[in-house]
Amino acid sequence: MKEKVVLASSLCKQYQIGSLTIEAVKNLDLEIEKGEFVSIYGPSGAGKTTLLNLIGGLDKPTSGKVVVFGHDLGTYDEDFLATFRCAYVGFVFQSYNLISTLTAIENVAFAVELAGWPRERIGKRSENLLKLVGLEHRANHFPAQLSGGEQQRVAFARALANDPPLLLADEPTGNLDVETGLEIVRILEKMKAEGKTVIITTHDERILELANRTLRLHDGRIMDTNE
Amino acid sequence: MSEISFPIKDLTRRKYQTGLTILGLTICTSATLFLVIFGSNLGFEIAFLTVGGRLTSGFSNIFSRFILVVGLLNILAGAFITSFLVYLTMSERVRDIGVMKAAGCLSGSILGYFITELSILVFLSCIAGTIFGIGAYYLSINLLNALGFSVSQALSLWAVFLVFLILILVSHIFGALPIIKAAKVKPAEALSPLYSLGTTFELGRAVPSKLGFTFKVAYRSLVRRKSATGQAIICLAVVLTLTTVTIAGGMIANQTTTNYVERAIGRDVVLVGHPNLTERYVNLLSQFFETKEMESIDYLDPDFLNISESLVLKLSNIPGVRKVDPRLVLEASVLEIPGIIPDPDDPNEALVIGDSRSDEALILGVKPEVVVNEWLIMGRIFGKADQRSTIIGDSLALKMFDDPQNQSIKVRAHTFEETFDIVGVCLDPLNNGKVVYAPLNALSTELGQPGYNLLFLKIDPSERSQVLAEIENEISGKNLELVELNEVLGRHVSFVNHIWSFVMFLPLFSLVTATLCLLSYLMLSIAGQQREFGIMRALGARPRSIMKIIFTQALLITLISGAIGISVGLFVTFVFLIPEPVVSQYTLVSVAGWLLLTLGLLCLSSLYPAMKAVKKSVVGAIYSV
Repeated sequence: MKEKVVLASSLCKQYQIGSLTIEAVKNLDLEIEKGEFVSIYGPSGAGKTTLLNLIGGLDKPTSGKVVVFGHDLGTYDEDFLATFRCAYVGFVFQSYNLISTLTAIENVAFAVELAGWPRERIGKRSENLLKLVGLEHRANHFPAQLSGGEQQRVAFARALANDPPLLLADEPTGNLDVETGLEIVRILEKMKAEGKTVIITTHDERILELANRTLRLHDGRIMDTNE
Repeated sequence: MSEISFPIKDLTRRKYQTGLTILGLTICTSATLFLVIFGSNLGFEIAFLTVGGRLTSGFSNIFSRFILVVGLLNILAGAFITSFLVYLTMSERVRDIGVMKAAGCLSGSILGYFITELSILVFLSCIAGTIFGIGAYYLSINLLNALGFSVSQALSLWAVFLVFLILILVSHIFGALPIIKAAKVKPAEALSPLYSLGTTFELGRAVPSKLGFTFKVAYRSLVRRKSATGQAIICLAVVLTLTTVTIAGGMIANQTTTNYVERAIGRDVVLVGHPNLTERYVNLLSQFFETKEMESIDYLDPDFLNISESLVLKLSNIPGVRKVDPRLVLEASVLEIPGIIPDPDDPNEALVIGDSRSDEALILGVKPEVVVNEWLIMGRIFGKADQRSTIIGDSLALKMFDDPQNQSIKVRAHTFEETFDIVGVCLDPLNNGKVVYAPLNALSTELGQPGYNLLFLKIDPSERSQVLAEIENEISGKNLELVELNEVLGRHVSFVNHIWSFVMFLPLFSLVTATLCLLSYLMLSIAGQQREFGIMRALGARPRSIMKIIFTQALLITLISGAIGISVGLFVTFVFLIPEPVVSQYTLVSVAGWLLLTLGLLCLSSLYPAMKAVKKSVVGAIYSV
């Protein structure tokens, strides 16, 4: 039996906006095994990003449990969650979210440095990762000097910097054209081949086809599961 | 929407920014006003109004220069703070301006809206600042009076009006600059999510990677917001110049003036004379801090001239008496005698200076070799054989003479009329500096009065009580009184210290203003970086790493502006404020300590926005707009 990487039970997340309470995730149960490639899709406001944030320890559940790699994330403080994210999770956001004041290679190295790697290994690791996404020639460019596709590839390199066992990607091709999106799909294929656990929210058919399992989320609940 | 209702609604909607701007301007206004009205009441009216008041001209010069420099710096700081705070406000409003322009609003109308906002802010701040400034003034005056000094409560309404007017004008001029700049932004630019007023894509020189990401991110963020960073540095540098001038200048000026007073009166000096005359002398000496009405007195009354040569000899033989300084003192009219100097334009030609001005002064016949005072600020003391030379007080020198050392003074008293060449100027609080020290022999001969009416004895402080008892013993039954001048000196020093201690409140104002500037800048900087801080935390950066970045930004700005501000402040202090300071090592260490404390507190204040920034949830930070 494979190791359970993510275990969510009766997971709920509510947001309070003034007097209005929004239930982004409702009583959700989910299990994801090691090495699985899970795609989540659904309409805007279905709770996809919230679910990813809860699994990644960026947000805490209002009720229920989310256990990732054996850690009940709702019970830890901010410092532990930072260490947890650094060690276990790689994030890729729809809008790339690179640090604008750091160059491409520095963005990658930043994540490695957070993990406390020795200084001499940080440079080598960052160069290798940029080579992996085909951007070694753009290493010293700032995000504003890179195209959308290039920025997203740097974001993938950064997400993989610490060799995390879990990759969370929030609509990574959402802001990209078809051609550039294909470059991202190729990177995801490599990750799948490497046996990484990937959870990805997307509407991109090419990514959905890659997945071992697809979940359709609607109004904070899982409506369908296709394996 | 009308040009009035929009700005009012806009200001009330943005309570935090409005409050911050009003607070900064209010502090500047109240500090400037307090300084000017407090200063003018104590007699050191600014600049051209220097002459007059109760302080001697020498002291007045130091105080008035201080007031002038600090007042100007306060106005300058007020102007820069207005400009900076308005700039920060406008940098957050560029998007609104874009929307207004896209909706067809003319640049002129936009300018009108924001200038009206500026006027509301400036008027509110200046009114509040005036109220606080006057309040602080009355509080200080009442405190001084409660401590035993008699300081008038008169308020110079002209000074209040002038400061109010200047600050209103300067704030409007400096505040309008960023508004004009922001109103000129093209709508397409203003609406672009990438555009931010005053930011650049240039990220400065490469930073050595060994300094780590904290420094790299902090440094490059500062460079990126180069316009705001530049303004913050200028603003803080001006405020820190002001802080340095008030701390260093205040402490050094305090020590210098205290030293002047000590040297002028002399330490461990005992006065012996007829009770009426010693009381008169003490009153004349106390004019410096306490105005007293005095009736005319005949100094040459035979009852007062009862200090014989044999008594002088006996007293000088008492062990523990270090110096005996007999004097013949009287009040007389003095007249300026014109002098001749080489013409500065043509050295072959001579120029007559002087205006035959006259005044009343205290004339003191002294033996130069035994004078207990060390109060010379210019020239030399006359020698034993110098029968026609004199030293005059600083107030007399300033009021009556163009070039005292090249002029003479005529003294008229009783049947006596004599002209003396001025060889030196002394800083003397006695009779507010209106004093003439002349050779005792010459004065006695001219007046036909060989005796003395006052005797000054410098005693050994370690044998004080024994010496005093022996002096008392020698003068008993001779209708003479002994007065210790240390008590009068103590009151002088205390008066000077109190004045400076009130002036020293100003660094507190400056520090609050500087903190406000730094916090405003950091708030803007954090708002711009909030999303990136969220990303860093998502990647695994701990909250304290984010705090370190913000603290490093504050440190960099504080160090740069501190280096500029402190250098300029020290230059102003030593070149313009007190060109001949009396500085002890302790004062220098104190000044350095206070300045370091100021910079430290300034840096520490950045912890507040840093803590506020990391309190925001990671998700909230990442998705913040």
